[in-house]
Amino acid sequence: MIEKSRQQSTETPQGSVMKDVAATQTSEQRLLSAEQQAQLCDWMDRIANQRDRKAFACLFKWFAPKVLHLGRQRFGDASQAQELLQESMANVWRKAHLFNSEKGAVTTWIYTLVRNQSFDMLRKMQTNREDNLSEDIWQQHSNERDDSAEFSDHLLDRQLVEYVEKLPEEQKNVVKGIYFQELSQEELANQLGIPLGTVKSRLRLALGKLKAHMGEHHD
Amino acid sequence: MIKYHPSEQILQSYVQGELCASLSVAVSMHIDMCPQCQRLAHQFETSCAHSFIGEESDPQNEDSWDDLIAQITKDALFDERPAPAPLEIEVKGEQFVLPSSLHNVGLSGWLKLGKLSRSRLDLGDGKLHASLLHIEKGGSVPQHTHKGFELTLLLSGEFKDEMDNYVPGDFIMLDGEHEHSPVATESCLCFTLADDALHFSQGLSQLFNPIGKLIY
Ligand SMILES: [Zn+2]
Repeated sequence: MIEKSRQQSTETPQGSVMKDVAATQTSEQRLLSAEQQAQLCDWMDRIANQRDRKAFACLFKWFAPKVLHLGRQRFGDASQAQELLQESMANVWRKAHLFNSEKGAVTTWIYTLVRNQSFDMLRKMQTNREDNLSEDIWQQHSNERDDSAEFSDHLLDRQLVEYVEKLPEEQKNVVKGIYFQELSQEELANQLGIPLGTVKSRLRLALGKLKAHMGEHHD
Repeated sequence: MIKYHPSEQILQSYVQGELCASLSVAVSMHIDMCPQCQRLAHQFETSCAHSFIGEESDPQNEDSWDDLIAQITKDALFDERPAPAPLEIEVKGEQFVLPSSLHNVGLSGWLKLGKLSRSRLDLGDGKLHASLLHIEKGGSVPQHTHKGFELTLLLSGEFKDEMDNYVPGDFIMLDGEHEHSPVATESCLCFTLADDALHFSQGLSQLFNPIGKLIY
């Protein structure tokens, strides 16, 4: 046996669940998720730069049910799931400054922390080893990623392209640069010759407007 | 060019943290050397994150988390990320830099058998044996089949067998169907993982059967 046995062998393999979830997402959900990404980024920035406890509480409450769900699925046990929540969210707090918001999505970053924690817990349960190898195993691949592809997936929607065209010129340039040309926020700031903070605030404004547009349309 | 890659299924399980440590380490080292699998793993990671946040969950009593949140945010020790010093090993007068995935994995002393040397990796995955195997140029592993499976990840150098030539990064998964006798065309360092002793199958090399256990 190469793979660690799953606690619940009746679970559908996550691979197929993933595809189903992706397929059933409507464009509105996708857009909301992009908007939420901006909110999550903001919380993460405040945790990383100011150790803002309120922002951490918000982030915690947003992710906790999802972490508990993953934990119950993987361990089939509520107290292990609770330990997973506590340990992985403590890691979020301790490592927030290592997260690079120009290069990665908050959701993916936090997913990898939860995944690493559950790997170490599973290893401890199955081999009685206390060594935490997950950081060595995933360290090179976890931080330096680019989420533009993820966003472009969300936003490459014909209807949405029309809305983007209606945005004020400055916001349109930011949205197009990031989602359609797949530039990082940093690259875009350099290219447009404006501060990174300006890119971020224009992006936030633009996403807010797009969300409102889409909301009207779907109501 | 790397021709042998982990299967998508292995890559997917790796991303989900569901492989044992020995295999996770192997996939991690391959990904370091293989941009193609690196991209694929990133895609899988993104999809996993999507399905992770997409889960409908029961409404929770949020107030019950306030104590936990307070406890976590009391902690003022923040993780720094020191660049780990490259770990070097010397085998038969040759220097190798070990991949960072192995930084905290214990290595046993080197057992030397002619042109072969191996060191056990202390990963503690039951009957799975992970090793570093060094083969001097011209050295070979006698012809053998595998009772279970044998994974060879070539870290450095080159070797060939009846099926192909291999380059660093090649992730070669063999099982009982395969019979081969690898020969090092350049001095090699491999990561090997096997779940049972090899079975040496030809003529005099059958005499090696007792040492198969030692090598793998
Ligand atoms: Zn590959």
